[in-house]
Amino acid sequence: MQVLLIEDDPALAQALTQTLKREGFTVNHLAEGKQGILAVQTELPDIVILDLGLPDIDGTEVLKAIRIESADLPVLVLTARTSLDDKVKGLDLGADDYLAKPFEVDELLARLRVFERRASTLKHAGLTIGEVSIDSASHQVTVSGEPIDFSRREFMLLKAMMENSGRVQTRDSLESKLYSWGEEVSSNTIEVHIHHLRKKLPNQFIQTLRGIGYIVKPL
Amino acid sequence: MKSIRTYLLLALLAIITLVTFVSLLQGYQSSISKAHQLFDERLQNMAEVIAIANQSSQPQSTSNDIHSPSVFFQIWQDDSTLLARSNNAPDTLLTTFDSITGFKDINFANYRWRTFTLRDEALQRWIITAERTDIRYGLAENVVLASIVPIVLAIPIAAFIIWIAIGLGLKPLRDLATQLSRKQADDLSPVLLKDTPDELSQLVTTTNELLMRLNTAFTREQQFSADAAHELRTPISILKVQLHNLQADNKNKLALQPLANGIDRMGQVIEQILSLYRHSPDQALLKQEQLDLAAIVQQVIAEQYDLIVQKNQKISLSNKSECLVKGDQFALETLVQNLIVNASKYTPHNGEILVSINSINNNVNLIVEDSGPGIDESQYDRVFERFYRIHGDRHDSNSLGCGLGLAIVKHIVLVHNADISLDTSSSLGGLKVDVLFPLIKEQL
Repeated sequence: MQVLLIEDDPALAQALTQTLKREGFTVNHLAEGKQGILAVQTELPDIVILDLGLPDIDGTEVLKAIRIESADLPVLVLTARTSLDDKVKGLDLGADDYLAKPFEVDELLARLRVFERRASTLKHAGLTIGEVSIDSASHQVTVSGEPIDFSRREFMLLKAMMENSGRVQTRDSLESKLYSWGEEVSSNTIEVHIHHLRKKLPNQFIQTLRGIGYIVKPL
Repeated sequence: MKSIRTYLLLALLAIITLVTFVSLLQGYQSSISKAHQLFDERLQNMAEVIAIANQSSQPQSTSNDIHSPSVFFQIWQDDSTLLARSNNAPDTLLTTFDSITGFKDINFANYRWRTFTLRDEALQRWIITAERTDIRYGLAENVVLASIVPIVLAIPIAAFIIWIAIGLGLKPLRDLATQLSRKQADDLSPVLLKDTPDELSQLVTTTNELLMRLNTAFTREQQFSADAAHELRTPISILKVQLHNLQADNKNKLALQPLANGIDRMGQVIEQILSLYRHSPDQALLKQEQLDLAAIVQQVIAEQYDLIVQKNQKISLSNKSECLVKGDQFALETLVQNLIVNASKYTPHNGEILVSINSINNNVNLIVEDSGPGIDESQYDRVFERFYRIHGDRHDSNSLGCGLGLAIVKHIVLVHNADISLDTSSSLGGLKVDVLFPLIKEQL
């Protein structure tokens, strides 16, 4: 995986590069926003880690330029500012995820792995967690090697939860995902689908946080 | 003074009434003196006419029938014989002939009379004419009364017109007050008045200068806070990443654990101090939005889930459909985050955390309960103090913290006009934190 790291602080960039390399990523580090835009225009990386506080131009400008270049290149925004406006602005401008400094390295790696999984389903490759595998090309789900039928909505929900494995998906966020796929959503739609999914999946594959949401834990 | 308008109205009416009555008094006095002059002249003329009319003849005492009861005359001979009189005149001498001619005031028939005595030297007679004095006062009173009545009737109309006029005159002041009262807490834009009157222009200018200075100060403070946050967070991030790399290289991970704890603790203290500063009531420039508290709680729990999973704690949220509160999203997230992190921190492994949101009489009630050791009732007030930790740094839970969490919560509760109270959870046995948000007032 090619990671483009746009971060102006040399010490942080050096340490992060080392960490990411150890995790098997190929890292290209740049300290300025304009260089970053140029790099994206020259050759698309697989993932961008973008610090919003850059010396030459505002990080949000870089984000806009990246989005012009590619609509679905995963961008993880890092920022030392934590006002909600920054977060909302970053996500509105098309950042895929957002991490506030100081972050836990494990958290950063977990989010990069979500990007990896999403990239792999985007490229119609499979995604496997435990005994469950999904193939986004054929919309096929296999549990312990056995193919099982899923409705379109069930497949979408399962895919969203597996891509974000290890992170809680709140009911609200799952509902808004169904909305964005053009589905009708009533008040207990999510509960009903999860109930059906559970019957077809191994025990405890989807865990419930009562009142909050659902999580598929990575193995 | 309750209202400038009422004050001005009453003051003006009082002044108008006072001036009117002083001038009426003056008018009454000059009417009286004019009446005296006129009536005295008439009395004198009457006496002269009677004298001339009776010069050539002997006055007839029986044929002098005067119809007016308020006038009489007498004609006396020098030797005090009454030659003639009007039928309503007395037959006695009511005055003395001590001067040749002149006016006198006498009492007769229960009235005060004004007399004029004329001396006819040729015939050696005295001619006395008299008239009742109360007539001249009656005339003056009629004149004054005639001018009083329209004024008394006009005062209510004047009051009404004055009320309207003052209202129009005070309109700019009212507009200014309305504009200021409508200002939201985060609105520091200048006040704009159409056609500012001279009297208000200084007030408007000064207010706008103050608002501008306040705005600049707030912006500077926020900038400082953001810069400080950036400058403090980046080095902590570097430490964390470097430590992660060290841990990956080093086989003896335990040796690095105290370092990791130290960095975490420093990071938390910095976050909490920044948060306390940002949410202090005099710093907070809050947006007031209508927010779904349940969505915020879901979001925060999802973000803090790793913390809860690490201790294998059970967490759940129970709420009834909509839990709308009015407030600032970021502040409310911080509030919920502090309560949930606290609950997880002080609840032992395998414990339970219960979050519930209820609406009672349109108030929204957020309750966070845990199965931890709880807080002794005597400490309920002190835990909201800054840097206060129960049992100091040797806390039973061995967890990181700097004692700012609940102080931050308290600040956020204050700026949202909410209430916070602590209790013992009846279902779980640990601490129960109860935040009561006020009724959402419909926006006009």
